[in-house]
Amino acid sequence: MSEKPTTFWEKIGKIDYRWLYALSLIFTIIPIIQPLGLPIQVSEGTIGYFNAIDKLKPGSVVAVSFGASLALLDEQEAQYLATWKMLFQRELKVIFYCTYADSPLIIQKHLGSVVKPENYGKKYGVDYVVLPYAPLGEAGEASFAQNIRGVYPNDIYGTPLDQIPMMKNINDQSAIDLVIFMYTSCTDVEWPIRQWVVPYKKPVIVATLGCCGPMAVPYYPTQIQGFLSGSGMGTEIEIVSKNPGPGAMMSDAKNLGILPFILFFILGNISYLGRRFVTKEVKK
Amino acid sequence: MAAFIDILGGLVGTFFIISVLSMLWKDNPIFRIGQQAIIGATIAHYILLNFKSALNNAVLPMLSGNFWLFIPLFLGVLMYTRLKNEIAWIARYPTSVLVGIGTGVMIAGTMRGQIIDQMKNTVLDFSKSIASGDSMGIFNYLLIVIGVVTSISFFTFTREHKGLLGASAKIGRIFLMISLGANWSGELVWYLTQLIGRLSWIINTVIKTMLLGG
Repeated sequence: MSEKPTTFWEKIGKIDYRWLYALSLIFTIIPIIQPLGLPIQVSEGTIGYFNAIDKLKPGSVVAVSFGASLALLDEQEAQYLATWKMLFQRELKVIFYCTYADSPLIIQKHLGSVVKPENYGKKYGVDYVVLPYAPLGEAGEASFAQNIRGVYPNDIYGTPLDQIPMMKNINDQSAIDLVIFMYTSCTDVEWPIRQWVVPYKKPVIVATLGCCGPMAVPYYPTQIQGFLSGSGMGTEIEIVSKNPGPGAMMSDAKNLGILPFILFFILGNISYLGRRFVTKEVKK
Repeated sequence: MAAFIDILGGLVGTFFIISVLSMLWKDNPIFRIGQQAIIGATIAHYILLNFKSALNNAVLPMLSGNFWLFIPLFLGVLMYTRLKNEIAWIARYPTSVLVGIGTGVMIAGTMRGQIIDQMKNTVLDFSKSIASGDSMGIFNYLLIVIGVVTSISFFTFTREHKGLLGASAKIGRIFLMISLGANWSGELVWYLTQLIGRLSWIINTVIKTMLLGG
């Protein structure tokens, strides 16, 4: 057991950590029950992401490399929903291909019960197709760009791609006008750079977790046209595309829920500096 | 009112979320039940999905005439030789194939996309900023150059960190701390988002929609 704190500096550095969790829970729950509508500033990467989709000509083909995970869904759900709504609001042909084991479950549930492409006048097989999970990795991305049927001979329902009207003249990267790379592993941003941008100079936009954003930033705007990082930028794309979703509530709760952490960071640092410079307890 | 099976699913989900969150208070049997159930269910989920993937992408096409698919399937099976020490060496063959293909696929793109183009764009943007008199742009690119050089010098261990190298390494350490701090804060916000997502599900989906019929 650690010794009981005696000085003021020790006391503020040893507050029971459960107060932090309790405060954070309370601050988080308030906006979930009653969203506050805190202001959101739209960042440059989000505008680039929006513009990349918005400037596509009618009839353009968009390939969505969908590597979503159920465990990380809350962080990216706003990105997915806003992006898919944007795609279906435009005259585009969309190929969703699943690169992670959870992706088919997520895409089928969200397209079926939330986005509902039929509400936008879109028909499966004519305006969009969903390809099943294949453990692609980077080599698979390269193969997909060279020969879609080589990697995905059938769609998610087992229908051969040759029998799907939309896929009639879509065989490889030459038919693709934009790649949307949705992923959860930070270094995966390098895959589309290496397999789509360098060899074929295809426009690419990416959507990833908040903590992976710093890995995507160096490639923007010269190698990727835009990026979404975490639920914060998911909220931004909801605002820019005028497709409200779960992002607004998420941003409010996040903004409030983080306050106790900031408070504890400050207290911890005051405690450390106090012990170091006032009572000279901390060894240099 | 939601169907009974939905309510049951919601309540079971809520139990597991709360059981995991109970760890914030202290280690307890409810947490361990939740933890083990979630790990078990997750493993079962991934085994099933990957089995189906292998079946649909390799086994069934092979049985219907694509005999060349036997090669990747066989290499995949060889991976399991790792489970027995006497024949574990066999697993090196499929591993070497994987590493070889992976390296071959990424090497060209890495040189061009991540090294040459990154350097080119940095230099071009820097020169553009100078030409246009964009002082903020110049400052940013100088910051990038100083950050890269000093951070690399921090990891130079072939010489003692004294004199110019020592000063550079000290500055590099500051850049590294800022970078790690930014990444860590991203992680923290990410965990918070997961918490918000689950709390939102309990409050809005389970309580408001399923139980109260809102």
